[in-house]
Amino acid sequence: MSLLKNGHIVGEDAFQLVADDATVPASGAVLITYARWQAEKDQLSGRNSPLGISLPNNLDVLDFGPEAERFDLIVLSFPKFSDGRAYSQARLLRERFGYKGELRATGHVLQDQLWHMQRSGFDAFEIPREDAAEAFAKASRSFTNVYQPTGDGRVSALKQRLAAARKKEAAE
Amino acid sequence: MYQYDEIDQTMVDERVAQFRDQVARRLTGEISEDEFKPLRLQNGLYLQLHAYMLRIAIPYGTLSSHQLRGLAQIGCKYDRGWGHFTTRQNLQYNWIKLEDTADALADLAKIQMHAIQTSGNCIRNTTTDQFAGAAHDEIEDPRVWCEIIRQWSTFHPEFSFLPRKFKIAVTGSPNDRAAVRVHDIGLRMHKNAAGEVGFEVIVGGGLGRTPFIGKTIRDFLPKQDLLSYLEAILRVYNQFGRRDNIYKARIKILVHELGIDTVREKVEAEWQATKDGALKLPQEAIDQIAAQFAPPPYEKLQGGINADYANAFRTDFEFGLWARRNTFKHKQPGYSIVTISLKKEGEAPGDAKAEQMNAVADIADRYSFGEIRVTHEQNLVLPHVRQADLPAVFKALKAYDLATPNVGLASDIIACPGLDYCALANARSIPVAQQIALRFKNWERAHDVGELKIKISGCINACGHHHVGHIGILGVDKAGEEFYQLTLGGSADDQAAIGDLIGPSLNATDTVDAIDTLVETYLRIRKDSDERFLDTYRRVGLAPFKEAVYVAA
Amino acid sequence: MAKAPKLDNQPQIVTANDLLSGDVVYLTKTAAWTRKIAEASIVENAQAGAALLAVAEAQAKMNIVVAPYLIPVDASASPPRPIQYREIIRADGPTTEIRKPAA
Repeated sequence: MSLLKNGHIVGEDAFQLVADDATVPASGAVLITYARWQAEKDQLSGRNSPLGISLPNNLDVLDFGPEAERFDLIVLSFPKFSDGRAYSQARLLRERFGYKGELRATGHVLQDQLWHMQRSGFDAFEIPREDAAEAFAKASRSFTNVYQPTGDGRVSALKQRLAAARKKEAAE
Repeated sequence: MYQYDEIDQTMVDERVAQFRDQVARRLTGEISEDEFKPLRLQNGLYLQLHAYMLRIAIPYGTLSSHQLRGLAQIGCKYDRGWGHFTTRQNLQYNWIKLEDTADALADLAKIQMHAIQTSGNCIRNTTTDQFAGAAHDEIEDPRVWCEIIRQWSTFHPEFSFLPRKFKIAVTGSPNDRAAVRVHDIGLRMHKNAAGEVGFEVIVGGGLGRTPFIGKTIRDFLPKQDLLSYLEAILRVYNQFGRRDNIYKARIKILVHELGIDTVREKVEAEWQATKDGALKLPQEAIDQIAAQFAPPPYEKLQGGINADYANAFRTDFEFGLWARRNTFKHKQPGYSIVTISLKKEGEAPGDAKAEQMNAVADIADRYSFGEIRVTHEQNLVLPHVRQADLPAVFKALKAYDLATPNVGLASDIIACPGLDYCALANARSIPVAQQIALRFKNWERAHDVGELKIKISGCINACGHHHVGHIGILGVDKAGEEFYQLTLGGSADDQAAIGDLIGPSLNATDTVDAIDTLVETYLRIRKDSDERFLDTYRRVGLAPFKEAVYVAA
Repeated sequence: MAKAPKLDNQPQIVTANDLLSGDVVYLTKTAAWTRKIAEASIVENAQAGAALLAVAEAQAKMNIVVAPYLIPVDASASPPRPIQYREIIRADGPTTEIRKPAA
C-alpha cells in the first residue's frame, strides 16, 4: 500500500492511527474515527498536535463541515470504487467549508478514478500499488481541458471561451 | 448545429487515448473485468448475448449529413452494416469487437462524435424534442440548453459514480415530445408572468421496475441558474440515493421515499449556497452556444400551403397518405418537418442499413440543409424541408423503404432489441413488433384506427417505454416460455400516465391477436373517428377492453 | 433476465463470451474455447459441471473469456441443444430475419 501525497510517495504516514478503544496520545499527529470525535470532542479539542479524522462515506457532511477546519487530515472512504459518495463529501469540504488540510482517499482507490478524485479536492491517496506515483502522474494528465469548474482551480471551457471572445473583441 | 472547437475536439481525442490505454491494461490483466466494466460502459460498450454492443451518443438527437455518412461507414467497417436507433436518440451497433472499439471511437472522434457516458452510473445523453428549432409550437429551441447540459455533465468528476444512471430530457414546446415527465430530471421551457423564458424542473420520473411520473420540484428556474440547480439535484442524489439495492437506486425512489417536499428542501438549501457561484451562466456564454443553433438560411417563402404541395396532395394518393402522417408544421412559412419512418411493416423497428443512412444523408443535403434528427420513437427527421420539395423528398425516401406512411399509427411501434440481442431480456420483442405491424399493413385500417402508440419492452427495464404506450407490451418469462403482459392507457405527453395492466400474460400469438381485439373493440365503441384510442380508453376505462381480450371465446 | 435453472445431475456445458471479440464460445474437452456448440465438452453431473466451470473461471482470470457459466443441454441432440431459449438464441443467432448475420 502506498501513501501518495501531492504526487509523491510518502514513506510513512505522519498520522498515527488510534483505535476507538485505545488511549489517544497527548501529543503527536493522530487519526481517529468520527465516532470517537463525536464522543470525546471536548477532550480532543484541547490537543496541540495535528488531528486527523476518518469520516464514514454515508455521513452528511453538512453536519460536520463547520468543524472541518479543526483538522489537518480528513480521510474519506470509497468502500467500492463504484460508490461515489465521497466525491460529493470532498467537494463540500473543500468548496463549501474551505477545508485546507490533507484530504485523503482510502478504500478502493484505482488509477482510473484518480482524475475524478483529484478534481473533487483529494490531494492524498492510499493506493494498493507500488508505482502509485507514476499512475497518479498519468491520471493527472488525462485531459487538457475541463468542462465544469470544481475547486481544483482549472479554468472551465466556458470561461476559456469567454476570455478568448473578450480578447478578440478587445483586439478589434 | 453545434460545431466542436479545439477544446471539444481535444476532449474526445484524449478520451479515445484513455480508453485505448484502459483496454490494453484490461488485456494484460492489470485491471480486472469488474474494474474495467464501468470504464467500458462509460464509453458505451456493453457485453450482450452475442457480442459487444456499442451505443453511440447522438447529443439531443441532432446529426449532420456528414456525421450520418460517417456512422454508416463505421457501421460497415466495424460492424455488420446496419444500426439501431434507440429510445434515447442514440445509435447502437450490435457486433462490435472489443479489440476494434478504440479504433471505432477514434473514427467517431474524427466526425465530432463519441460514445461517452451512454452507459454506466453517470449522466447520460440529454434528449429533447426531435422537432426542436423547427416546430411551429415551440417557445424556444431547447437544444441550446441540451448542449450546455451536455458539456457540464461530460466527465463530471463528482457525478461519475452515481447510485445509478441519470437521464435528463428537455422540451421547448408545451406539447412535450421529449417525455420529460418520465425522466430523472425533466425540464420544460415556459414563460413566467413577466414573459421571461425559464424552466419548470421535474424530478423523479422514470419507467422500469417501479414507474413514476416526475414531480415538479420548481415551477420556474431562470436560465442563468440551470447548471447550479442541476448540480444541486445531482449532489443530493449522489449523497442520498440508495446504494444497497440496484432496483431502488434511481432518484425516483429517493423522491418517493423522502417525499418531494423533503427533496426540494435539500436541493434548494444546497442551491442557495451555489447559485451565485461559478456555475451561474453569464449571458455571453449562453449567447455563444445559442449562436451555434441559429436557424438555417431559409428562403423567404409564402405562408400557407404551397401550391405544388397541395396539388400533389390532391392527385397523388400515396403521397397524400404519407404527407398526412409523416409531416409536421414548421414555424417558418413555406417549410415543413418530415419524419422518416424506420418502421416498414415486417422489419425490425428503428433499424437502418448503411445504404439507408447514406440515402438519408444525401436527401438531407439536398432538401434539409444537411441536418437530420433522431426521435426517441426510433425514427429519423428532416427538420427543414420546403413544402414545394415534399413530393420529391417522398419519392427519394420511398426508393429506400423510408416512406412508410405510419408515423404515430399502430405500426409505428417502439421496440427494444429484446431477447434476440439483450442479455437482460426475458422475451423477444422484435418478432412481436413485426407481427403486429403486419396486421396493420392495410393503409385503410391503419389510418382509420389513427393514432395508436404501441410500445414493447422485452423485460421490466422498460427500454421500449412500454409503461407509456397507449398499448404497452412487456415480455416476461413464465416457466422458461416467452409471455407478454399488456397495459393500456399509458402516455408520455403532457398528461403523462403509466399504463394499466389488463390481465394475465399471453403467449406471443395470443398477444398479437389481442392487439387486433383491442383495436376492434376501440373501433366498435369509439364516439367517432376523431376520438383516438387513448381518448376512448380514458373515457370508458379498462373493462370493455379486458372483457374483449379475456372473456370472448 | 430469466432465472438460471438449478443444474443438478443433467447434461451441461460451459459457455462464455470471448474477451476480445465478444463472440459466444463454449469450453471444449481440451480446455480450449470454440464457437461451435458441437465441440463443447458435455458433462453429466453437477460435480463434473463445477469442475468444468472452475477451469473456465481460471481462463477468465487469464483474460481469455468473460463471465463463464454452466448451461443445461439436451445431449441426445447433435449438435447438443441448449434447454433455455436464451441459450438457443446465443448459439443460433438472433431470430429476426432482417438481422440475420451474414454466414
